[in-house]
Amino acid sequence: MRLRHLASATAVFAAVAIAPVPQAQAAGTLTIAQAQDPNNWDPIATFLLSWGAVGSNIFDGLVSRDEQLNLKPGLATSWEVLDQGMRLRFKLREGVTFHNGEPFNAEAVKFTMERLLGPEGAKGPQQSNYTSIGSVEIIDPYSVDIVLKRPDPVMITKLAGYGAMIVPPKYVTEKGSQGFGAAPIGTGPFKVTGYENKVHLTLEPSGNYWGGTPKLDKVIFKFIVEPATQVAELQSGRVDIASQVPIGMIGAITATPSLQLLSTTGPTVTVARFNTANGATKDERVRKAIVMAVDREAIVKQILQGHAKPVTSFQSTLSFGFDPAQKPVPFDPAGAKKLIAEAKLPPGTTVSIDFASNNVIFREVAQAVAGYLTAVGLKPQARPFEMNLFTNDIIPNGKTGEMFAMGWGGWTFDYDNTAYLMYHSGERWNPYDKDPALDKMLEDQRTIADRGAREKALQKIANYVADHALELPLFNLDTYYGVSKRVKGLVVPPDNRFRLIGVSVD
Amino acid sequence: MGRFLLGRLALAIFVVLVVTLLVAWAVRLSGDPAVMLAEGAGAITAKDLENIRKALGLDRPFGVQYASFLGGMLTGDMGNSFMGGRPVAGMVRQALPLTLMLAGLSLAASLLVSIPLGIRAAVNRGGAADQAIRILSLFGLSFPNFWLAIMLVLVFSITLGWLPPAGADGPSSLVMPVLTMATILSATNVRLVRSAMLETLSAQYITVARSKGLAETVVLYKHALRNCAIPLITYIGLQFGGLIGGVVVIERVFNWPGMGSLAFDAVASRDYPVLQAVVTVLAAMIVLVNLIVDVLYGFVDPRVRTE
Repeated sequence: MRLRHLASATAVFAAVAIAPVPQAQAAGTLTIAQAQDPNNWDPIATFLLSWGAVGSNIFDGLVSRDEQLNLKPGLATSWEVLDQGMRLRFKLREGVTFHNGEPFNAEAVKFTMERLLGPEGAKGPQQSNYTSIGSVEIIDPYSVDIVLKRPDPVMITKLAGYGAMIVPPKYVTEKGSQGFGAAPIGTGPFKVTGYENKVHLTLEPSGNYWGGTPKLDKVIFKFIVEPATQVAELQSGRVDIASQVPIGMIGAITATPSLQLLSTTGPTVTVARFNTANGATKDERVRKAIVMAVDREAIVKQILQGHAKPVTSFQSTLSFGFDPAQKPVPFDPAGAKKLIAEAKLPPGTTVSIDFASNNVIFREVAQAVAGYLTAVGLKPQARPFEMNLFTNDIIPNGKTGEMFAMGWGGWTFDYDNTAYLMYHSGERWNPYDKDPALDKMLEDQRTIADRGAREKALQKIANYVADHALELPLFNLDTYYGVSKRVKGLVVPPDNRFRLIGVSVD
Repeated sequence: MGRFLLGRLALAIFVVLVVTLLVAWAVRLSGDPAVMLAEGAGAITAKDLENIRKALGLDRPFGVQYASFLGGMLTGDMGNSFMGGRPVAGMVRQALPLTLMLAGLSLAASLLVSIPLGIRAAVNRGGAADQAIRILSLFGLSFPNFWLAIMLVLVFSITLGWLPPAGADGPSSLVMPVLTMATILSATNVRLVRSAMLETLSAQYITVARSKGLAETVVLYKHALRNCAIPLITYIGLQFGGLIGGVVVIERVFNWPGMGSLAFDAVASRDYPVLQAVVTVLAAMIVLVNLIVDVLYGFVDPRVRTE
């Protein structure tokens, strides 16, 4: 760091007076602000979205997804599903090398998967998503089988996830997780050319990418935690993309002529779940009444300034299992009052709405929901909890009040990833619901190999959950970025994994 | 004198030890790093969390964890960060000089402004200049530092485009953080200089110096300033803790990669080793500065030694 070598205070102040004004970015260089530095770029070590933004340009998986989240070939050119879904056979792309010249082949796939599933993988959070893999068998240098222990229809999608990014065996063995994490090497379109922990990471084209040549000369990721600081950097032209924009600062971006706000459907859906075991919400009629009493459209418009979509189930429109035919419960306070009267609730029954205190968006939403519930004669109470306590104790141990906020979604965009964890009895995130019929539906869909039939099964689950009013569906927040207009060809990724190969700057 | 020094040193070490113990204990009350690490992992189970805790060494009893942290600190091995496993010592080595530079420059800038202004106010006691300086100082005292920082960014980065709003990209990156800190510090320091100066100016040797016909500047800056240096240095030494605390907040606003930013990240992710190391290093520094001030005082004023 050159700052350290500055001679004296006076020299600094003299230098400051003549310091060059920070100008717009150099030609061919794209600068992106990311909130966090995962500190270790080893794909199995993290779950942070900022890893996806950077790592997706360094690494490839066997399969990949485009900006619309459609699966497409990655390092595998084709694949087939054998043995009723228990064996996945991949034909590998030939002639691909890692950035250090190591060849990509079936050995690399086997090494990657065994590392992910072994003791190295156990130290990180990625392993849990791949435990249905039993073994990896090499058929020939460019064909490999992934053999499953139990059916996992989402596995092919998961192979596009962070944990399954293919790593170079020789390099990783030599460097260890630490060394590899500090200087990652993959087969992706860009290679890492500079990294200062928590400050910035620099990418440059790797030179021989199998999928084409990047148009950018250089990409700089700057790690900036504070969203307001990201926006300030964007406004002063020092970054081209701000990935964290507080809703309150969207106006500042749209008012600047050189900037634009780009958005797309996001992965995270927010709902208020019901305590179906205790309190007033034990009664299905009360739950239904609450769903009818809340005006989602108004919440989206007023509080979220339109940067979200109301939902009918705990998934976004992009999710596999989304049912376009499912109708939202209409806003109907009169009907809600009638149902509450039918349930014979004593007047002024308390309904608490619990949420994590750092969730600034939900804090406002909770106030609005409380207003709607008051209007139908309930006595709502918004209760913030410290985030760690909330997710670690209050929810899993069933200590919530009548309603509790949860945001969920995840990169697989498969309803199974939400529904099973939220509604199947005994799951960590499901302290209350115990419904054998629902459990069976959730288990059965996992064994269906046919995509269309499985989608139907998932849609049926979504409708079942809505019919029994297990949650108050709220909204699907958009993913949005503040972007300089000098950036061309950027398609906003719903999963925060920038695909920079087609991007250029003026 | 030797016993006095030893006593003060023992006390300092004791204070640092208590701080480390408190930090290690308190941070473990605040939540589970395994959950933070797995945040966003869909199908995480209790067993997965158990594995992560084991890999991080959190399954050991508190006493063992604390002892290994303390032993590590003594040998310079601060352990590895929970988030990504980087050696903490390296992270501190990268961050500490940046924080010290920011704190040092802020203090220097503040003294450059507050000494002449404080003297001016004292000399013109009750006059227009005194009033103006006191009102300005009141403004400085009333601004929360982060608010001032945001206002500076609005004016100098966004509206005028003169200075970078964040980061450590060369000398221009220092201007706003230093300006913010120096403004807050000067507000207090200017009052301190003023009152110390008022006291000194009423002393007989000042009257003597003046009656010898010395120039007023010599009287003020040579005779008077030297004599009020002692309370000033003491106070500034004691101010050091507050200064570091302020820098921590300012670093966050300006995305300055120093100890404050490290601490913020570590708190957010329950990264015990990083947080423990940062707090211990900063606490040790604050204790050390106070110790030096104590000892200097003992040299200057023999009465302190016998207390």
